[in-house]
Amino acid sequence: MKKTTLLLSALAAFALIGTTHAAPNKNLNIYCWSEYIPQAVIDRFAKETGTKVTVENYASNEEMLSKLAAGGGAYDIIQPSEYVMEALVKEKFLHPIDRAKIPNLKNIAPQFLNLAFDPGNKFSVPFMAGTVGIVVNTDLIKTEIRGFNDVFKPENKGNIVVLDDAREIVAWALLANGMGVNQITDKNLNKIKPTLEKWLPLVKVYDSDSPKTALLNGDVAVGVVWGGEGAILLNKNKKFRWIIPAEGSHMFIDSLAIPKAAKNVESAEEFMNFILRPEISKEISEEFPYLNPNLAARALMTKKELENPASFPTDEEMKKMQLFKDIGTQASEIEEIVTTLKAQ
Amino acid sequence: MAVSETFHGPEAPPLSVKNFAGISTLGVFFGTWTALVMAFLYIPIALLVVFSFNSARLNIRWEGFSTKWYEALLSNHVLLGAFQNSLIVASATTVLSTLLGTLGAWMLYRYRFPFQGALGLLIFIPMVMPEVLMGVSLLVLFVQLLHMPLGFTTMIIAHTTFCFPFVLVAVQARLQGLDPSQEEAAMDLGATPFQAFRKVILPYLMPAIISGALMSFTLSLDEYIVSVFTTGSQSQTLPLKVYGMAKVGLNPQLNALSAIFIAATFAFALAVHFFGKKKNL
Amino acid sequence: MAGFAAPTGVAPPPGGHHRAPGLLAWIILSPLLLWLLLFVVAPTLMLTAVSFAERDALGRIVWNFSLQNYFRAFDWVWLKILFQSLYYAFLTTLICMAVGYPAAYCIGRAPERWRGILLMLVMVPFWTSFLIRTYAWITILSKEGIVNSLLISAGIFTEPVSLLYSPFAIVLGLVYNFLPFMILPIYTSVEKLDNAMIEAAYDLGAGPLRAFSQVIIPLTRPGIAAGAMLVFVPSIAMFAITTLMGGGTNPMIGEVIFKQFTSGRNQPFGAALGTILLLVFILTLWLARSQRMKEE
Repeated sequence: MKKTTLLLSALAAFALIGTTHAAPNKNLNIYCWSEYIPQAVIDRFAKETGTKVTVENYASNEEMLSKLAAGGGAYDIIQPSEYVMEALVKEKFLHPIDRAKIPNLKNIAPQFLNLAFDPGNKFSVPFMAGTVGIVVNTDLIKTEIRGFNDVFKPENKGNIVVLDDAREIVAWALLANGMGVNQITDKNLNKIKPTLEKWLPLVKVYDSDSPKTALLNGDVAVGVVWGGEGAILLNKNKKFRWIIPAEGSHMFIDSLAIPKAAKNVESAEEFMNFILRPEISKEISEEFPYLNPNLAARALMTKKELENPASFPTDEEMKKMQLFKDIGTQASEIEEIVTTLKAQ
Repeated sequence: MAVSETFHGPEAPPLSVKNFAGISTLGVFFGTWTALVMAFLYIPIALLVVFSFNSARLNIRWEGFSTKWYEALLSNHVLLGAFQNSLIVASATTVLSTLLGTLGAWMLYRYRFPFQGALGLLIFIPMVMPEVLMGVSLLVLFVQLLHMPLGFTTMIIAHTTFCFPFVLVAVQARLQGLDPSQEEAAMDLGATPFQAFRKVILPYLMPAIISGALMSFTLSLDEYIVSVFTTGSQSQTLPLKVYGMAKVGLNPQLNALSAIFIAATFAFALAVHFFGKKKNL
Repeated sequence: MAGFAAPTGVAPPPGGHHRAPGLLAWIILSPLLLWLLLFVVAPTLMLTAVSFAERDALGRIVWNFSLQNYFRAFDWVWLKILFQSLYYAFLTTLICMAVGYPAAYCIGRAPERWRGILLMLVMVPFWTSFLIRTYAWITILSKEGIVNSLLISAGIFTEPVSLLYSPFAIVLGLVYNFLPFMILPIYTSVEKLDNAMIEAAYDLGAGPLRAFSQVIIPLTRPGIAAGAMLVFVPSIAMFAITTLMGGGTNPMIGEVIFKQFTSGRNQPFGAALGTILLLVFILTLWLARSQRMKEE
């Protein structure tokens, strides 16, 4: 008698556990940058749609690429930057999106749609954009800084922080020499070598993760950093000034895309549409002050947010922005050039 | 146990007077030095605990006192979940590494295997190989050769692979000073090799095993790169969640988490210490 | 007494304790063997295979045999970085030894009840996230940080000194992170010294300093050697700390290899660099061991 009761109660318990843990039919696997999609947004999506969302983070595009290329992880959503998007589209790595399921795409400003890396937005929707620019600590540097050549002056030696990104650094050198950021040929690389040889010994810190640290700590006085970092610094202290270089600069666009191996395309498209909602997009911008391409969201943002020059460049400045194209195998050569100059 | 005591450096009779003065100066010097080393180890810890009460979000300058990060931490299920995963992976890794390392060290010491030299070199490879290489090659191994899903198991295997050499080396060093006659004496008294190992060798090796285990745990807890390549979405550990946080400034909730964990560990250690003390009485 | 004996696992102890392994011994060893074969040998072979391959525009491996990566790797640029990494690792090991030995000795000679707690005290700081630890150091050493404030108020300097983003900061960061890995192994050797041995050492007539350096330190040599290996070997490819504390102006081999797998999109080249590192290391180890075997 006792044994039967035990067995029955065990079965009952199992059944209960089974029902409470009955996974919702929908699972969404997101692979994205750290600190880019607020947890509150993800939780809200999960609650509203009854989807179980798991988030895995990466710290760089290439980290994502190398894991995907090695066959690791079945992700439904990835968040590549524009030059990686281009490569992924070319290599037929992505699942096309159904525009009919993502009506909120209409909220995006036209200048961020139908760009060269994904014509017709067949595979991606824009998530956030951002610029690269100059931040100056006006307490420490009194002279005016208008562009790269003003930053990399001998008197600023040991006082500069730049992004630890060979592609970026080479792009700035190209711009300073009047060339486009994507005109990466052996000839041009040789042309800009003297510039790099002049610039790099002046740099004190290379940091792509948190260049604002060196600026806030007073260890450096000027830096060429991401727009998001600039916006945070400007919000922190009035002594910091943001300048888009006169020679022009790089604008990056991060998009949401669906890999071919995705298991849940439907939820992925649902998520994309969710992100493009004005109030959701606004929430993202509030936490991470990048360049929001969503016009409907901008309409909901405060004047202070919209006027942060590091977040939102002027129309004049926008004209000087250039997107990165994929340069494939030459990435390695650029790495070598910068590493060689660093090691001297 | 009388036999094991010999290996534990017991409190022998006090040193004779003529050596005492010289030794005690040395002792004072060493004691002060150790205190300084401890202070050095804890300087950043003190700072991060203080900053866990910093009211500023961007935790670089002090701006005022606040306990809001502790409150926020309690509801931050992502961070807490990641921390829990870290503890699970680190604990499992420590257990496996200690087993592999201790048994390996003992076997290599006691027997002459034909490829002894090669083994001695092989165990250093996970230590010297750059983590990205190990991570990527293990990823390929798991996914394409073994067809395993990425998750806790793959992470634990990966972590164990670079942790167990630390245990092995530590135990080997301790074995160096082992008096072989001890084991033989035990066996002469009728013990099987197993019993001799368990009752004579193992207690002798304990300090090295504990050291190795502590090192394994520490290494696994903070491992980032290898974890990146071998994790699944359910097994995200703390370093994976934390690494990109620097972009918007490391969240002071992290400081709070670390402070709580350190406090809990100390509390646990003290409790064990006092409980042990009571037992001895 | 033999020097780098046990950590490389070959020195027969006095008395020749080695026996031929029986079946049981093989069975007990087999988990370790399998583990090594599957998770160390196989990945290393894969790595070497990749180093002879080429790659496509997306960075994926293209299996065409090529020595191109090795031709490229044997360039002074990369070799210089490799040697610099070895140099920093070596320096870190020496400093850890000097700083860590007295502490390990103290803990090993402490009353038995306290040893566990002291060991925990040494290890617990490293159960915090390495990022917040390192950023804490950055805050402390920065121009507006505590150290500079103290130096200025003490009148030693009139202006803040740039302590960060320098070789000094790199070594500090490395020593800080690896100190426990020197202290713990040395502790295990110190711990088995008993008062009788130490008494005997001092009885030999020399002053405490000589007794210490000529008797006690040699007695703890296995621990020192183990500590040296556990600090030197992993610190060669370490780069996260050096990049954060050093500002990235001194690239290390670990960073260079990592970059080949990320922004460089050249996995085979990274694999080649890694294989060279492994070879250099194995060669050095093998030479050290055969040298020592000759001495015996």
